[in-house]
Amino acid sequence: MTATLASAVPTKRRRSVTARQNLTGWLFVGPFGIVFLALLVLPIGFALYLSMFQKSMIGGTKFVLFGNYLKAFSDPSFLDGVWFVIRFSLVLIPLQMAVSLAIALILDIVITRYARFSRLMIFLPYAIPTVIGALMWGFLYSDNFGPLAEIFEAFGQSAPDFLSSSLIFYGLLNIVTWQWAGYYMIIIYAALQGIDPTLYEAARIDGASQWQIVLRIKIPLLTPALLLILVFALIGTLQFFNEPQILQQLAAGAIPNDFTPNMYAYQQAFSLANYNYGATISFALAAVVFVCVYIFLFATRKRGSFTS
Amino acid sequence: MKTTPVIAAAATLVLASALVSCSAGGDEADGGGGDGSDATNCTNTITKDDLPVVTMWAWYPNMELVVDNFNEASDDVQVCWTNAGAGGDAYDKFQTAISAGSGAPDVMMVEADRIPTFQVQDALVDLSDLGYEDVKANFSDGAWKDVSVGDAVYGAPVDGGPMGMIYRTDIFDQYGVTPPTTWAELETTAQALKDAGGPVFASFAANQPATTTAYFYGNGAEPFTYDPSSEGEIGINLNSPEIKEVLDYWDGLVDKELVGTEDQFTPEYIAGVIGGDYATYLSAAWAPGYLQGAGVGEGADAGVWAAAPMPQWDTADSVAINWGGSAFVVSSQAQDPELAAKAAFGVYADPASLDDGWQNQIIFPLNVGVLDSPEFQDYEVPFFSGQQANKEVYVPAANAYTGMTYTPLGQYYYSALTNQIAAIIDGSATGSEAADALQADVVAYAEEQGFTVK
Amino acid sequence: MSVTPIERTRAGRSSRRGIERRSMPRKPGRVPLNIVLGLLMLYFLIPFWWLIVNSSKSSAGLFGGGSSLWFAGDINYVQNFIDLFTYGGGIYARWLANSALYALVGGIGATVLAVLAGYGLAKYSFAGRRFSFAILLGAVMVPTTALVIPTFVLFAQVGWTNTIWAVIFPTLLNPFGVYLMNVYARDAVPDELLDAARVDGAGEFRSFFQVALPLLRPAIVTVLLLSVVASWNNYFLPLVMLSDNRLFPVTVGIGLWQSTASTYGAAGSQSLWSIIVLGSLVSVIPLIIAFLTLQRYWRGGLAIGSLK
Repeated sequence: MTATLASAVPTKRRRSVTARQNLTGWLFVGPFGIVFLALLVLPIGFALYLSMFQKSMIGGTKFVLFGNYLKAFSDPSFLDGVWFVIRFSLVLIPLQMAVSLAIALILDIVITRYARFSRLMIFLPYAIPTVIGALMWGFLYSDNFGPLAEIFEAFGQSAPDFLSSSLIFYGLLNIVTWQWAGYYMIIIYAALQGIDPTLYEAARIDGASQWQIVLRIKIPLLTPALLLILVFALIGTLQFFNEPQILQQLAAGAIPNDFTPNMYAYQQAFSLANYNYGATISFALAAVVFVCVYIFLFATRKRGSFTS
Repeated sequence: MKTTPVIAAAATLVLASALVSCSAGGDEADGGGGDGSDATNCTNTITKDDLPVVTMWAWYPNMELVVDNFNEASDDVQVCWTNAGAGGDAYDKFQTAISAGSGAPDVMMVEADRIPTFQVQDALVDLSDLGYEDVKANFSDGAWKDVSVGDAVYGAPVDGGPMGMIYRTDIFDQYGVTPPTTWAELETTAQALKDAGGPVFASFAANQPATTTAYFYGNGAEPFTYDPSSEGEIGINLNSPEIKEVLDYWDGLVDKELVGTEDQFTPEYIAGVIGGDYATYLSAAWAPGYLQGAGVGEGADAGVWAAAPMPQWDTADSVAINWGGSAFVVSSQAQDPELAAKAAFGVYADPASLDDGWQNQIIFPLNVGVLDSPEFQDYEVPFFSGQQANKEVYVPAANAYTGMTYTPLGQYYYSALTNQIAAIIDGSATGSEAADALQADVVAYAEEQGFTVK
Repeated sequence: MSVTPIERTRAGRSSRRGIERRSMPRKPGRVPLNIVLGLLMLYFLIPFWWLIVNSSKSSAGLFGGGSSLWFAGDINYVQNFIDLFTYGGGIYARWLANSALYALVGGIGATVLAVLAGYGLAKYSFAGRRFSFAILLGAVMVPTTALVIPTFVLFAQVGWTNTIWAVIFPTLLNPFGVYLMNVYARDAVPDELLDAARVDGAGEFRSFFQVALPLLRPAIVTVLLLSVVASWNNYFLPLVMLSDNRLFPVTVGIGLWQSTASTYGAAGSQSLWSIIVLGSLVSVIPLIIAFLTLQRYWRGGLAIGSLK
């Protein structure tokens, strides 16, 4: 459309239109851009710089360029952590997406007060800070404060210990799904609200069933939003930190300090006073995230994208 | 044409910073050189405005009273205190400030086992010439050793944790057992209890590396030798026969299900203690305070607690051990180290504060004036239903304690030990294997950090 | 501009929905859907129920055994409330106020920046746009643990550490919000409308405010809600930046109580667990209120149909 309009305009005016376009574009992005540069790019630069130094207690700090990175990628603590977050993401993200998508679709169909109330209830866990959520689930998982022991004892069994090393994977899976399903659900729901209802009308006139509407109209139109969410969910999950860090106070045996790469970076920086290596681990993790996201975007490139 | 966006962006930036600095200026902004002597940032109120101020981070529960007492009595310096977090959180902030080069308080409350970690980063001031001589006689040798690194003194001791055995009289009476005096006796008593259907005897938890280290010392082990003046040398002896003996012993107790293995210091653990899931709690002198604070001894479990000395490997050659205890250190970012040292040695040193400490907050003061006083010794501890636990258990332990050697490897070592204890608990390593793995782990780390391991 | 598209759409949409409801028969599939919603609600609400029940208990009640999902012998809400708001000289109320400040200023600020940036990226093809996308995504891949210390150094230079700005400024960054706005703006604000406005003589900013903004409302509300919640739940950055506990947000405050209760020698002779539980419950209420008030703004729709 814009092309036809533009071609009707004399060239001189078109050039200044483009110039104005550029300027206004930058002005819109400017405020965010400034904060972004100051609070993200600058610290990243500094951290990157520091990650090229190796600090030891005896011998001080020396410049090693990429020596730290070689060390990180052969460090079993880091590599085990990476393997864990990848496994965790592969299970968690499809689970979360399926749950959130299903709920949002249901809420789009069932439009009653009951449904609206349940929408609020399902979103509620996201409103809980991670600290408190982890605290609560720590209680719920425990024998003395949680319902599990009571329920299982009623059947003559002993409750599974979700804070033990064998089950902590599922324990964390549950907490994260519980906390974040509502968040993704809200976003998908808002996106659903943006779909023109005339499309449904037209489809219904053509004889489509609810299922077909969902599969042929809703989901395809949701795809950009879904992909967006998936990318950020992937990035966030690979950087898994909050819940295991807090639960570690309750399950020190099941959650060692290098459980996830981000926790390992934290331990290096704060506990072991080795910020340089901690920064290295963070960037090494960022590299892993980049590769994973790239693979994901590459695999889904045909389905539309959220970048232009 | 291309320059106009840049100018616009720059203008926005200037405007934004101007707006921000206008509102951020004034009393809430901190200078770049440390939390500064900004009297408005304190939780306590300073009345003597003309005196210089030092900043302090501490989390003792009665700090406000303690600081007020000090401020009132002092004519040289005033303390501006805030509670920046308890334990680990406060250390993280302190570490951030050290790494960043600014933002640290002048005086910091630090547990003794953390001191070398900060000292090796040159973040602490040596207090040997800043008032140590004047207060030397107030604390035992063991107390001073804990806050020293080599020959230099870095901390002003405040409280400690001599260890003893807290036990439940109701359970002991019910099963007809008496407090064991040796570790061998403990095992047989625990077995007898179990056979009679009683609860587990004690707790061996992955999140208790400090306690386990105390047990090592209790067997005469010397896991570390460290003197910073000896140019990067460190002695690491984590798989000595004594340590293996200790770990094998606890491994045995775990295998025979005579001890509980869940993490301590969790609500779950407290609920277990209250509910009688543990017959004893091998712990330090501050434990009654901690337990009481968590609600132990107030409900159905009131009046069933007593204290006894720690079991020994050899009663003819008993060793006193310690778990925990904090001191005040002076940060190297302090603008006036002398004044800061005055505050560090002076705070929590006056009788009023100390009395409140041990009577109301139930910390265990290391000040020998208090330890030797009849008031403290004859005190009938309410938690123990009037037993004179200080005289019988804790003061002798404190007096006999000779101190432990802490190293900059401390945090890594604790983390490694936690992993090994977890391995022992889940059965993937025996005590001896764990000791060997621990030794290898810590030595590798030390060498990576540039130490020469002896 | 003669007829504002929004009103036509709203009327159009609701009337179309009305027609839909009247002419379609009741779907028999509603009951199972409602049951599913009910079960989901149960799952998401159990921890809240736990909070409600257990904040009525005193310490003795909490630790004294008894069912974790039902009340103990005595109901102690009043006493616990009093304890909560008087402990530490009433610091809890101060923490709540801090959280509100950070959440509102940070949340609104982040939304403003995200809306402007997302719109700019969607509607203006200026030089460097694709590059901006790449940078934005790339920066998010770096875990924030790496950035804490450099950000601290940065803030220390400007004197912002241990001030409210140390918490507010980092929360102004919401890259996900930018992406969300971008995706939504691309579809919700048709280029034709903007061109029409331009032809009518409106400047860029006027067309933004008068044409685009109303159309973007559902997304704006979503981003606002998510930003406010994210600000409110911020934990690790304020934890490290702030040492004066009177500036803590309520998340860090409760974290402080929790570590105090779990650290020997820190709590003195007073048990904190009952106020920790009640404090956790109370801290969630403001967000619930925020969500309820913002819910009303979600019923806007797209204007695509109106131009045809």
